[in-house]
Amino acid sequence: MMSAILLIAIPLLAAFLSILSKKIAPALLLLVGAANIVLLMFIPSEIVVIGGFDLPYGINLLMDSYARIALYLVNGLFFVVAILNVVEYKKLSSILLVALAALNGLLLTGDLFNLFVFLEVAGIAAYLITTTNKKPLSTFNYLVIGTVGSSLYLFGLMILYGMFGTLNMMDLINEIQTTGTAYGSLILPFFLMFIGLGIEAKLLPFNAWVKGILKHSNTLSGPMVASVYAATISLMFGRLVHNLFAFEGKLLTVVVVLLIAGVILGEAMAFSSKKAREILLFSSISQACITVLLFINGIIVWAVYLVIANALSKLVLYLVVNKATESTNSDDVDELKGLFANNILVGIAFTVAALSVMGLPLFVGFVVKLNYLTQLAVAGQLVVVALILVSSVVEGIYFVKLLIKLWYAGEKEVNVQFNLPYKAVFAVITLMIVLFGLYTAPLDSLDNSIDSVQDQIEVIYHG
Amino acid sequence: MKKLLAFALTIGLGVLIIFALDANTSFDDFGYADLSERVSSRYITKDSTADIIFGVTQDPESGAANIVTSIVVDYRSFDTLGEVTVLFISALGVSLLLGSAVTQKRLSLDFKPNFMLRVASRALFGIIIMTGVYIILHGHLTPGGGFPGGTMIASAMLLLYLADDQFRAKIKSFKILEGVAGSLYVVIGLVGLVLGTYFLQNFLPNGTVGDLLSSGIIPIVYILIGLKVGSEISGVIDNFLTEEVEQ
Amino acid sequence: MIQYAAILLMMIGLYGLLTNRNVIKIIVSLNVLEIGLNIFIISIGFIYDGIAPILTSTNNSSGLIFVDPLPQALVLTAIVIGVGTTALGLAIVKSIYSKYKTLEIDEMEEA
Repeated sequence: MMSAILLIAIPLLAAFLSILSKKIAPALLLLVGAANIVLLMFIPSEIVVIGGFDLPYGINLLMDSYARIALYLVNGLFFVVAILNVVEYKKLSSILLVALAALNGLLLTGDLFNLFVFLEVAGIAAYLITTTNKKPLSTFNYLVIGTVGSSLYLFGLMILYGMFGTLNMMDLINEIQTTGTAYGSLILPFFLMFIGLGIEAKLLPFNAWVKGILKHSNTLSGPMVASVYAATISLMFGRLVHNLFAFEGKLLTVVVVLLIAGVILGEAMAFSSKKAREILLFSSISQACITVLLFINGIIVWAVYLVIANALSKLVLYLVVNKATESTNSDDVDELKGLFANNILVGIAFTVAALSVMGLPLFVGFVVKLNYLTQLAVAGQLVVVALILVSSVVEGIYFVKLLIKLWYAGEKEVNVQFNLPYKAVFAVITLMIVLFGLYTAPLDSLDNSIDSVQDQIEVIYHG
Repeated sequence: MKKLLAFALTIGLGVLIIFALDANTSFDDFGYADLSERVSSRYITKDSTADIIFGVTQDPESGAANIVTSIVVDYRSFDTLGEVTVLFISALGVSLLLGSAVTQKRLSLDFKPNFMLRVASRALFGIIIMTGVYIILHGHLTPGGGFPGGTMIASAMLLLYLADDQFRAKIKSFKILEGVAGSLYVVIGLVGLVLGTYFLQNFLPNGTVGDLLSSGIIPIVYILIGLKVGSEISGVIDNFLTEEVEQ
Repeated sequence: MIQYAAILLMMIGLYGLLTNRNVIKIIVSLNVLEIGLNIFIISIGFIYDGIAPILTSTNNSSGLIFVDPLPQALVLTAIVIGVGTTALGLAIVKSIYSKYKTLEIDEMEEA
């Protein structure tokens, strides 16, 4: 009875029921959010077949350790963001429920057309969440660019269907491997799918929408898009990049060049910016590019940890900055000088999160960075390692500049109130960052086998 | 200058794509697709060694005579659930963006429809609704189904809106219909999970291929989808054609 | 032949997206792109001398040569998703108009 489909079906059912009465909608959102996390502990790792038709004729969900870690992260973060914002943004409760169902669906599904459908659902939910920014032109841009991305993804997928005759991810990978197709004929569909998903994943040069959305974000849309959605899309993209695309040859070179350009340009633009939200969003872009680089090189487990560390840190950073911007009506760093002089706990949380993103010792970001740079060096990607180190130095400089400005008071007194739920969230996340920075044994125990797609294919088709 | 660049880019992209597809040996040529290599052969033969004959075969794997319907509502029903969710969230978004004021009245336009239009449209309304309902009910036997049928019902509402500039439908009851129809779809899926072993499993008997009462839950699901789509699109039409009451 | 037309439609839609500065025209270009894509998807399933995949009293056996039903089912979904995004896009255009009082992007001062 306990099956992974419940993670998607129950939020959907709650969403359909929540429009019948506006009053119960927020309560339903919190209830379902909590129920999902509890449910996750009882669901076994298996392939869930939907409708009774075996793959590849029906649709299936794939639940393994990779999906489990991703689901815990995304459901937990979503619950935190929802709790902090449910009072202020009551009208969006039904939309948030649908977004939860779509995010779970993105991480679980094993069928590529189903991925397209859930991508659209999650996309439309994101467009609606960003309308709270009150910047309709930016939302319009996001909608147009997002729809073009999904259409390109569908175009690539249909070319693959025309070639192999199946839409199921595991069946498709098996067909590609057993028929020994020349990689040259796969370049066009894979590149189209990569662009389509890369638009949502904020990879350069497709991230024109990010600036408009996150620059004017608030406590709901900022953390939701930058932390929850970013984590989901990165993890889903990672599974596809590692198993399906398996870049090689010329396509690999093109993709790696694009990603490296994304890392460098992201850090450079963050360095030159004077607004707190802009700094954070450019840092998000370059971290997303680094994550995909790791997935391409097969360093799965450290990429997953990087996503987790980034999602937690960005949650704290965005919440602090957005709350402060909301209260002071400006996100110019010079206007926010001395923010932490009156809010010591919040300041410590922000500092810890920022230092973790930079990769200083004592924090989990350092452990993750050290490990993935070592593995990249072992794999022979010395150019990438050098470029990441250079960009880390730049990152360090601008984060330290930001921190100094925020700690030391300027001429004006900046007064922002962070109420108790915020402080509780900050305290927990800070503890987690410091704890995993000092005690790394749980991080070392998992290895690249958490992504079990190749093993499942072995079992189903050659077992 | 920018237009020239965009023109060159799109023409170049189009030519590139056409060449890549022509050079691709695995991509089937137009019209020469081999169905036995694709998953669709299972959807046609329905996993039985004998041919499926219209009006004769009892209880095949998926009972709809319209093979596309059996794919949309039976084999890949989860995609249809996602699609229904897309329409749901779009309609919700439109009402969030445009319908937030408490009191609304019809948008005042310069064109005022005349009396004959208003009366004649009521006669047409019945015919369009009947066509829509027919298409929804016969979704498993003829082309069509819940989505076109629901849209036809909504277009009947649009006719009334356009022909009479004071007409407003009861939006509250549409919202209730939409919510109930959607939840029933998910509940049918969950019943399949509880009674059978799979979500959205077809747990009613399939009957004879070609009968009106056949193919298990497929007609029921299509009726729910038709009602949902019709009420959602009517809600969207109402949101676009109303505005806030000037205080 | 029809696949060339579908790709041409997609490129026309893309060109429209890149060059238009009126938000309604951008939405129309987006729709043209999606229509081109849908035609391309259907054309993947075509088989010469195939008939529509519906069992009727005249085409009553499943042993006949049918065209591929799966792309048709996928296009059904894609069309509905396109309708959903267009409706939302037009609602956003209405709020753009009530905020900026114009539909040309170049005339909207970035507040």
